[in-house]
Amino acid sequence: MTTVTGESTTAGTVLGQPLDSREDPQLLRGEAVYVADIDLPGTAHMAILGSPVAHARILSIDTAAAERLPGVLKVATAADFTDVMPLPCIWIPGGVESHFPPHPYGLPGARPVLTGDTVRHVGDPVAVVVAETPRQAAAALAAIDVAYEPLPVVTRADEALAEGAPQLHEAVPGNLNAYWTCGDKDRTDAAIARAEVTVELDLVNQRTINSPIEPRGAVGDYNAATGEYTLYASTQGPHNHRFLLSALVLGIPFNKLRVIAPTVGGSFGTKGYLYPDMALVLLLSKALGRPVKWVDTRTGLMNSTVQGRDHRQHVTLAGTRDGRITAVRCTSYANLGAYPSTIGPGVATALMGRSISGMYEIPAAFCEVYAAFTNTVSLGAQRGSGRAEAAFLMERLVDRYAAEIGMDPAEVRRRNLVPKEKFPYDNGLGWTYDSGNYAPNFERALELAGYAGMPARKAAARARGKRLGVGIATYVAICGVGPSTRMSKEGMLGGTWESANIRVHPTGEVTVTVGSASTGQSHGTVFAMVAADELGIDPAQVQVYEGDTLKAPYGQGTYGSRSYSMAAPAVALTARKIKAKLIKAGAVFLNVPEDKVVYEHGGVHEAGNPENAKTFAELAMAMWYGWGLPPEIEPALDETTHFDPPDFNYPFGTHVAVVEIDELTGETEVVDYTAVDDAGNIGNPKIVHGQIEGSIVHGLGQALMEAAEYDENGILLSSDLTHYALPRAADVPFFTLDRTVTPSPHNPLGAKGAGEIATVPPAAAVVNAVVDALADLGVQHIDMPLTPEKVWRVLEGGAR
Amino acid sequence: MDLTPAPTLTLHVNGRPEEFAARPSELLVERLRDGLGLTGTKVGCDTGQCGTCVVRLDGRSVKSCLVLTASAAGSEVTTIEGVSERGGELTGLQEALRQEHGTQCGFCTPGMVMALGELVENTTPGTAPTEPEIREWLTGNLCRCTGYHSVVRGVQRACAAPPPAPSAGSAVPAAEGR
Ligand code: FES
Ligand code: FES
Repeated sequence: MTTVTGESTTAGTVLGQPLDSREDPQLLRGEAVYVADIDLPGTAHMAILGSPVAHARILSIDTAAAERLPGVLKVATAADFTDVMPLPCIWIPGGVESHFPPHPYGLPGARPVLTGDTVRHVGDPVAVVVAETPRQAAAALAAIDVAYEPLPVVTRADEALAEGAPQLHEAVPGNLNAYWTCGDKDRTDAAIARAEVTVELDLVNQRTINSPIEPRGAVGDYNAATGEYTLYASTQGPHNHRFLLSALVLGIPFNKLRVIAPTVGGSFGTKGYLYPDMALVLLLSKALGRPVKWVDTRTGLMNSTVQGRDHRQHVTLAGTRDGRITAVRCTSYANLGAYPSTIGPGVATALMGRSISGMYEIPAAFCEVYAAFTNTVSLGAQRGSGRAEAAFLMERLVDRYAAEIGMDPAEVRRRNLVPKEKFPYDNGLGWTYDSGNYAPNFERALELAGYAGMPARKAAARARGKRLGVGIATYVAICGVGPSTRMSKEGMLGGTWESANIRVHPTGEVTVTVGSASTGQSHGTVFAMVAADELGIDPAQVQVYEGDTLKAPYGQGTYGSRSYSMAAPAVALTARKIKAKLIKAGAVFLNVPEDKVVYEHGGVHEAGNPENAKTFAELAMAMWYGWGLPPEIEPALDETTHFDPPDFNYPFGTHVAVVEIDELTGETEVVDYTAVDDAGNIGNPKIVHGQIEGSIVHGLGQALMEAAEYDENGILLSSDLTHYALPRAADVPFFTLDRTVTPSPHNPLGAKGAGEIATVPPAAAVVNAVVDALADLGVQHIDMPLTPEKVWRVLEGGAR
Repeated sequence: MDLTPAPTLTLHVNGRPEEFAARPSELLVERLRDGLGLTGTKVGCDTGQCGTCVVRLDGRSVKSCLVLTASAAGSEVTTIEGVSERGGELTGLQEALRQEHGTQCGFCTPGMVMALGELVENTTPGTAPTEPEIREWLTGNLCRCTGYHSVVRGVQRACAAPPPAPSAGSAVPAAEGR
């Protein structure tokens, strides 16, 4: 069923094959080791006391009773860590125009490892206990007596910016972290003012909780003999965490901190952030001379791990009566939570704002974001972060506009797609799309979804007491973060390139190490395929290592669907260096000029004389011995590449949701879901396919059931999985999936991001479908999540 | 049940008798993970919602975070470690899940294998569970990575269920060879 529109630029034999994941067997046998399974000799256990109130001054903390409890080794508060720097935020909206970034210590509002004076959200850590067992540590928390003087609470970004709102940080007057804009305001305002048609919407993109099934955990292990620290953590970016912790927080030498990501049980953005616990286990391990382990609970995760989305927006679209979009404008209030998380402010601004025009050619566009602090958990990335919020507003607007001018929403989209010949395409909001061929992708999705047959299906559904609705959503997702200089202009403090090393062993086996780190994406399988494809050898000969800063070269890690378009190109380029060296050496070994050396199936032979040949294993051994090599050829095969692409890449796609709403209960059932995504050349379709399916379900969750609900006191009501709904197997049907292929020119594999891109459009597709189903009642919009109760009220009350 | 003083209890875990003094209020998952070092069973939540801790207790799949160790005394407990040999061959269900890539991060996987094992074992050949039945059975297990589709396909494969008709929205592109 796969339509390959456009030419794949990958010529090899291994890439593109649906090979089984080599990681799966140990996962299926329960043998993989996650942080909670690590049991170093002599481990002590840490528990964290989080604030029970959302905003308060700490008057006193009495730890004496806790210290006397059995098994308790240490109780610590902020007073114990006065020489530790706060956890930095490394994405400052607005950009850094310098080779030398500002020293990111002590940013306004940065979070301390433990809070000493004022708590700012429920779960804000105020004390830790280390004890012999996890139960003793947890029990001791209850014996710590903290006196709080309550302060007024604010949990919404727009309210936090209002006159007289409670203030979170002395250094941040008015709670405004950033006022950030992109696009052309004057032009957009003018286009809207003179438009034939304008439509407006007020949208709430609700706060959601990523909820990887593995809660976070950390083990700190200080070696007093060598002065070296080891951190095992559920992290997406071990190198990045090493940099942040050693250089910026703890002030320990970079080369004395090793960070290891063992098997990580899902992340979806949240485990790339720096959290107090990571610093605390290291500090306390040194203080106690024992390994210190901390494993979060689900409720702890919900009150401490970064949350996502959370925009309140006023959006406007202008167009002509015959369906040409002329302008789009967005004013957004983004809720950053209590502290600027590692990169949260960038997610809420650039990642969202620069994406709002999606697949459409729009002459005037403007987005402004007020990013504010409130008494909620800090905001961070969440599968599809920023792009999902952008696609949501744009795709809701397009449907509103179609309804306003009485045109089929598919036809409106068709008329505004950026045409193929316009690429590379400057979207006027700061992104330049690398490549795209939107029309075939769009038409393929409509065809697969049976879009033309929807009127008949609607009538049939009504006869059964159901309202059927169909919703389309398209998207462009910025991926491949990224070009380091370009990221500095977005305000990212840190190199965002990736690297890979390939070492060919004397026996002909190959080790690939990459800076990236998997959180379930089968990197061990895919990076082996890339190396094998380039070198012309069997993937079974290649072993991949990652996730350990001692073993692997630098790299930012896995986020924003970047591993295959950032780390895999580094692997490919490194393999090409190996190949080039083998051709050079082949000339010596075969005793022919270099241009007569043919590299094939891992070995070399003389052009036109296949008898004069050396196999890969023979070459590997000869290179390891190094006998008889001329001075210009170093012995051994060991190469590294640092890959910093010229620009981002921009996958895209079209999704179509068909829903049925039960007229009696208001329940929305997704009955069909079609997705046609374009991630350029993909390495392993079986693995990408699985990621696409999971991503869609994640997006459906936001549309239908997921919401982080805070009450007026800032208490997170949905703080466990009985109160925070995640999609279950019975909530979804099988999907109809297909893909088109438009390679990216920005990396040697022609790859674009894939892992989370399919989370970007589903929320918009489903809300569009539900609004379509209710359109005859005068419904123009319903805020997510579309719970049965909410939809039932609309059905009862009619127009909203 | 009177738990003081702690009596010696016996559990038969993966076919081996294990004797120990259970602590009051100790959960079965704690005994398995911390007491016996069987870390294949996972803890994903505090509320009995996620299913990562599912083990078989006298053949039935149960959430071991909702079972007091003491109340399981005398029972047969099978954990993921008892399903297939370490590093060894996969069972039919595991193999089917592997072929369908029914696991990504793998954190939910042991619990899924334990819960689905009961379904597959109790399926008479030729009477494969329907897709809705499989989805219903999986309701106690959360997965955030796969979206469940590959898991459902894995069970269908394990039960030799006919592949879903294309009109029902088969998610398997034929060109990709699955
Ligand atoms: S740990 Fe979640 S159900 Fe048992
Ligand atoms: S595979 Fe990650 S939660 Fe299921």
